[in-house]
Amino acid sequence: MMQQTRPAYELRNIRHGYGQEFVLDVPELTVEKGISLGLVGPNGCGKSTLLRLLAFLEEPNSGDIRFEEMTAGADYASLRKQVTLVLQEPYLLKRSVFDNVAYGLRVRGEKEGIKKRVFEALEWVGLEPETFAYRRWFELSGGEAQRVSVASRLILRPKVLLLDEPTASVDTRSAALIQKAILDIRGRWGTTLVIASHDLTWLNGITDEILRIHSGRIVGSGVENVLTGPWIFNGKDLWTKQMGDTARIFATRPPDENSVAILHPEDIMIAIEEPASISAQNILRGTITYMTTSRQKDKVQVMVQTSTLSLTCSITHYAVSSLGLLPGKDVFVIFKAASLMWQ
Amino acid sequence: MDYITQGFIHAVRLLLSGDEQTYSAIATTLKASSLSITASLFIGIPLGFILGYLNFPGNRQIRAVVDTLLALPTVVVGLFVYAFITKRGPLGEMGLLFTIPGISAAQTILVLPIVISLTATAIESLDRRLRTNLLTLGARGRQIAVTSLLEARYAVLTAAVTAYGRAISEVGISMMIGGNIKWHTRTITTAIALETGKGQFALGMALGIVLLSIAFFINWILSVLKRKA
Repeated sequence: MMQQTRPAYELRNIRHGYGQEFVLDVPELTVEKGISLGLVGPNGCGKSTLLRLLAFLEEPNSGDIRFEEMTAGADYASLRKQVTLVLQEPYLLKRSVFDNVAYGLRVRGEKEGIKKRVFEALEWVGLEPETFAYRRWFELSGGEAQRVSVASRLILRPKVLLLDEPTASVDTRSAALIQKAILDIRGRWGTTLVIASHDLTWLNGITDEILRIHSGRIVGSGVENVLTGPWIFNGKDLWTKQMGDTARIFATRPPDENSVAILHPEDIMIAIEEPASISAQNILRGTITYMTTSRQKDKVQVMVQTSTLSLTCSITHYAVSSLGLLPGKDVFVIFKAASLMWQ
Repeated sequence: MDYITQGFIHAVRLLLSGDEQTYSAIATTLKASSLSITASLFIGIPLGFILGYLNFPGNRQIRAVVDTLLALPTVVVGLFVYAFITKRGPLGEMGLLFTIPGISAAQTILVLPIVISLTATAIESLDRRLRTNLLTLGARGRQIAVTSLLEARYAVLTAAVTAYGRAISEVGISMMIGGNIKWHTRTITTAIALETGKGQFALGMALGIVLLSIAFFINWILSVLKRKA
């Protein structure tokens, strides 16, 4: 009989917050072993809180987190030896780079081959060991400090590596080196990765799947657009969300006036000229701010900033080239009222 | 004005010639203050750490009392310790009155609030990310506590140096508990007070120069440590 392997994490009915206000509400989430999972969403949406729970830094106010074969009531301190988290802002101990990278090994009581392993870990993140190992904590740039922070986790060979905005305060070279180091260790040890980031291009290059979090809830996978209320009935058959002075988004009947709607990037069209007559109710003027590759073959993700809302659209390569889409170009985004899916 | 200049020249001569009386007071001062600072660090650092690291009921009230004791007058400490170690006092049999260990015991009480308060502040001022960082690296309770204290090492050393400066420069305790006995318990500060009263400016100035030099040295160490912290 084949032995069934459990997922890395199984979360059930998680509710967690600080004070009276709940910031995270996850009825169900399974993270398979060996997967690389991305988390996206606006600041304060609960990404970091979810990572802290997955890192066993906090116990949820209610609900259950299962880690591999862990039984209920397992010792969090021993679980933290298998799971580690890279913080958004690196904190280095007031010691040399060598001692920072070796710290995790030392607290585990490991003494054999520390120098070899520290030097190896520094090489993984693109830091020349001979140059950096004996530098002091304040003799590093922000990017170098973050790479030391990553190296001090990689050396531990964790089962799960969690990263909270690892490239938020680093230059593009450091971001690329961190990405390479993470992919290398994943290939080597099959490490499960959960990464929160705003950098979609970077995240697309490192993850198998992306979850979008909004106001503490997982609202979709991928790069769906999230539209929040209030929705006001227009007196006929549609509901509207006012944006700025004149622009409005039309929607079909929401469950309630403060409902959250999901708009899939594939459901949005882009036009250069304003269409004269079209069945779609929503036609918004905007400017392309950002274009990046998509995980879907032959697609490009195009970010369009409308008056108060940034929308991600998924466009074919052919459309991009035939319409001559480039960042900075003024366009119209078009979608049906019925395309909005209520959460 | 002339007598001040003459006093200064004579003071330098006393120091350069290795005058026994001068060096006896210096040695007594260094012995007493070193003993007191060692004792206060042994007691004060763990207490300060607990006060700054742990959040327990009554923590803020204890902290308020410790902070108030920072301004403890030396003569009040001298008075209480005298009452305890005098022949009629509860600790009279220990024979501490008019001895260097007696001075040290009272100085320990004087500087203990400094060590406790500054250590607690140093621990409280540690970066909030430190604990999270250590947890994510797999550290547990005692490992986190020890690492936190090591992270605050420069600030804790600053506390030690500040306390040493207070111990070495006090006069009330040395006078009341030590009794200012020549060759025995006469410290730099009590000698300066006595010699100035007798009109012996040279010896007073010589000792004053030494005390100032020690103060400058302590200040220099303090500024180095503060930069590092």
